[in-house]
Amino acid sequence: MRKITTRAVSVLLLAAAIVVGLTVYVLRYIDEGRSWALAFSRVNSGSYGSLLDRNGVKLAYFDGERSEYADDSYTRIANYHVTGDYEGRSGSGVLNTFWGNMQGFSLLTGTTKAEASVLTLSVDSELNRVAYNAINGRKAAVLVCDYTSGDVLCMVSTPAIDPADPDAVPAEGAYINRCLSAAFTPGSVFKLVTAAAAIESIPDIFERSFYCEGYYEVAGVPITDLAAHYTQSFEQALANSCNIAFAQIAIKVGQNTLLQHVREYGFLDKHELSGIPTAAGNFPSDFVGDPELGWAGIGQSTDLVCPYSLLRFVSAVGNSGVLCEPRLLLDGSAPKLSRFMNAETAQRLTEMMNYTVVQHYGGEDSFPGLRLCAKTGTAERGDGSSNAWFAGFLNDPAHPYAFVVMVEQAGFGITDAAPIARAVLTAAVNKSPMH
Amino acid sequence: MSELINYLMTISRFVMIGLSLVILVRCIRSLLRERYEAETWAYLRVGRETLPIIHWENLLGRSRSADLRLDLPKMGRIQAVLTRNDRGNWILYDVFGRGGVWVNGLPVASNGVLLQDGDVLNLAGHTLRFLDLPLEKRQKLEAKRQVPGRVSPALTLFELTVFQLFLLMQHAFSAKAEHLPMIAFAFAALIVLEWSIYNAMRVIGRMGFEVEILAFYLTTLGLSVAATSTPEDMLKQLILTVAAVALFLLSGWWLRNLRRTALMRLPIAVCALLLLGVNVVASDAVLGARNWLSFGGYSFQPSELVKVAYVYVGAATLDRLYRRRNLFSFIAFSAICVVALALIGDFGTALVFFVTFLVLSFLRSGSIATVFLALTGAGLAGFLAVSIKPYIARRFATWGHVWEDMYDTGYQQTRALSAAASGGLFGKGAGSGWLKDVFAANTDMVFAMICEELGLIIAICMVLALLVLALFAVRSARQGRSSYYAIAACATMSMLLTQLALNVFGSLDLLPFTGVTFPFVSRGGSSLLSCWMLMAFLKGADNRRDASFAVRPGDRMKDRPPRPVYQPNAKGVRA
Repeated sequence: MRKITTRAVSVLLLAAAIVVGLTVYVLRYIDEGRSWALAFSRVNSGSYGSLLDRNGVKLAYFDGERSEYADDSYTRIANYHVTGDYEGRSGSGVLNTFWGNMQGFSLLTGTTKAEASVLTLSVDSELNRVAYNAINGRKAAVLVCDYTSGDVLCMVSTPAIDPADPDAVPAEGAYINRCLSAAFTPGSVFKLVTAAAAIESIPDIFERSFYCEGYYEVAGVPITDLAAHYTQSFEQALANSCNIAFAQIAIKVGQNTLLQHVREYGFLDKHELSGIPTAAGNFPSDFVGDPELGWAGIGQSTDLVCPYSLLRFVSAVGNSGVLCEPRLLLDGSAPKLSRFMNAETAQRLTEMMNYTVVQHYGGEDSFPGLRLCAKTGTAERGDGSSNAWFAGFLNDPAHPYAFVVMVEQAGFGITDAAPIARAVLTAAVNKSPMH
Repeated sequence: MSELINYLMTISRFVMIGLSLVILVRCIRSLLRERYEAETWAYLRVGRETLPIIHWENLLGRSRSADLRLDLPKMGRIQAVLTRNDRGNWILYDVFGRGGVWVNGLPVASNGVLLQDGDVLNLAGHTLRFLDLPLEKRQKLEAKRQVPGRVSPALTLFELTVFQLFLLMQHAFSAKAEHLPMIAFAFAALIVLEWSIYNAMRVIGRMGFEVEILAFYLTTLGLSVAATSTPEDMLKQLILTVAAVALFLLSGWWLRNLRRTALMRLPIAVCALLLLGVNVVASDAVLGARNWLSFGGYSFQPSELVKVAYVYVGAATLDRLYRRRNLFSFIAFSAICVVALALIGDFGTALVFFVTFLVLSFLRSGSIATVFLALTGAGLAGFLAVSIKPYIARRFATWGHVWEDMYDTGYQQTRALSAAASGGLFGKGAGSGWLKDVFAANTDMVFAMICEELGLIIAICMVLALLVLALFAVRSARQGRSSYYAIAACATMSMLLTQLALNVFGSLDLLPFTGVTFPFVSRGGSSLLSCWMLMAFLKGADNRRDASFAVRPGDRMKDRPPRPVYQPNAKGVRA
């Protein structure tokens, strides 16, 4: 019998293994319990706080029974790329990025409603509806922010889904936020960047004149334009959106200097909008030669720009060269300011952009009530279609809004993108939030 | 109203946790801390010393592991084996080492010799005297032995009842109205059942009830899981619970007689193999594993019953072990079981059997070499299984990376982890979780389900309850009458602990996910039946005075003359 007794210790080994296993689990629970719990409980339990827009409109909340979205389907769809959904289909949505902040969890009580928090967005959900309406079914990205506070007031990307009633087969790209998560060929809006680089690197740029016959050959490679602009100043070249003048300017600035400015303006970096990662852009960095550099200077070649990066650029121009970093969450923190470009450069660009609007886009007649400084872009995608862009800001201390509108596979910037911007900016000015 | 419900929910959470801890501590105090004295059956006088004989199976010799240690010159490490049967007949065997064994001047034949009170033994030249204890003397000694019950089992059971009522209250808040009457009935019936058994035990003078209390505690959690996940089947679950407890009583009663028990090993082995054979040939495939037999609308898992049979057959008496040392027939039996289970596709259960086999063969042979040999063999077999059955390999591939596969092979484990963590320490309340809607939550992920609904503390108590039973099995082995009971109890607990480990750690991604049941708690009738039947082995080993109904009280066992078959004869002795 005593032999058996001694051998019975083998059972204790099993018991010890279980104690060890249980200890490991408890330690892992302490370490990772929060992320474990929140991984699925956002779908399954009422531990969520609420997500409000800047005016207190509930975009997502828990009603005591289940997690809900805004009551109105129009609001849900227009704001889809801001909110995302509980299931995390849209990776860049606030619900996906901030679920950890919104839900309550403690090691003692597990997920709790008690510790769940309320997140307030800088976005105005009604402006998003206006933008969504103006987009009218096309694939587009619309961004508006207050360049003095950084608050993103409007962020709409289409196609989108209704998170409360998702389509069985969503439209292609319905889960991609075109404002943040993608970069597109910029076309002529990129001339703003080339212009800024030229102002800073060519001292007599405003004394120079540029001649355009609608066709120009660099080292045997043609650069074309829609029309012949003949003799024009730097300012007129931007207003004319003259490819030939800007190709020459880009070549004059030089690839390295231009690239350096593109990089300084943050077009090649991934940024974070209140913690939501954004896409990086592209500009030729290997030596490409003058013809290609000419095309790159007018926003073609391999140029890619994320609409969000362009929003930062136009914000900084509007705010006298100081960037107030855009933000999506109103957490009471002070705006993050940084010197983006020379105040003088910003001033010059502002004048040029205003001149462009007045001379070519119809000024006040086309944009009543808006003190607009802007630039269009019609980027050839290489498949016969084009991306229509419109980017700029209101030079109006009462309404300091910067904006970027991009419509994919559309017509021209002025005909397809500008009306969306006008609709949203007009609504914003009329509502005049915060100001 | 909802304020009141919230208030009651909060109170019940803390009360239930408190009661779980108190029940556990009281059972620990009774099972593991109370004095556990040996029975004395006879004496062996060695010179001036008188050694009490406390087991029915004793090894005599110089070895430290001998039960009657005779540290004398020329004595063999194990010189002789002395056994007692139910009738009180003592038989001495020679193991045929050097020195020889004589009784009253005659050498002991290979089939042993029947000892009488006062017989003079000669072991390796040393003279010893065997002194049997007549019934009256045994009764006097027995009267001095500690009776369990200082930690009142009635109070512990009362605490369990309160726990059950609070649990029922939580279900009352969360269950659908149409299910509530049946849930309440099931809980009430369980309370009636446990008190009836307790009273019946008091009537027949049995004082130990902690094993049953812990089993009922686990069964209660199982009932809660059933009420949460399959409330429409509460009646079935209740009937199965009653049947399981009835089978437990029956099995315990059966184990009272060692001879009967040992004689039936072969027939039961044959039955078990037949059952597995039928299972291999005709069975329903449920998700890869064909471990279900169904007839007349009822389905059951034969492998669960085979678990009981396996322990029953695998345990053995010491004299048998010592005189017939080969493990061959047992290894063959085990191999057939494991292969049959592998053929059925129930690899989880095959693994449970294999670990039990390791423990059993170690308990029987004490040979680490055998264990290593078996492990090597199993490693090869496992490698084969993984290469033949791709879904097993996938499970292994997922192990440790469930979050990378959370919509595919890690689906269940990630849900289990998430639900378990969202319950925190105190739980969301019975019936208020979401894991119940995930496939197999009420069987394979039951630990997480309990964590989610009742909290981590109660889930840990659930594991501790089985650990306490395992420690008690080891403790009982020390004072056991026959090694059969000691081995059976230890094998039972290793089987249940292995199941527990695979179930809990599989669902928590600390081990590959194998899909075995958590003893008593996982939903499943066959599993509940087998767990309760296995508890009978634990009761069979509970040798405290007047503690267990599965042990015949020593002070009431009249000595009787040997059966004819026990007479030492040329054919040898059957034990």
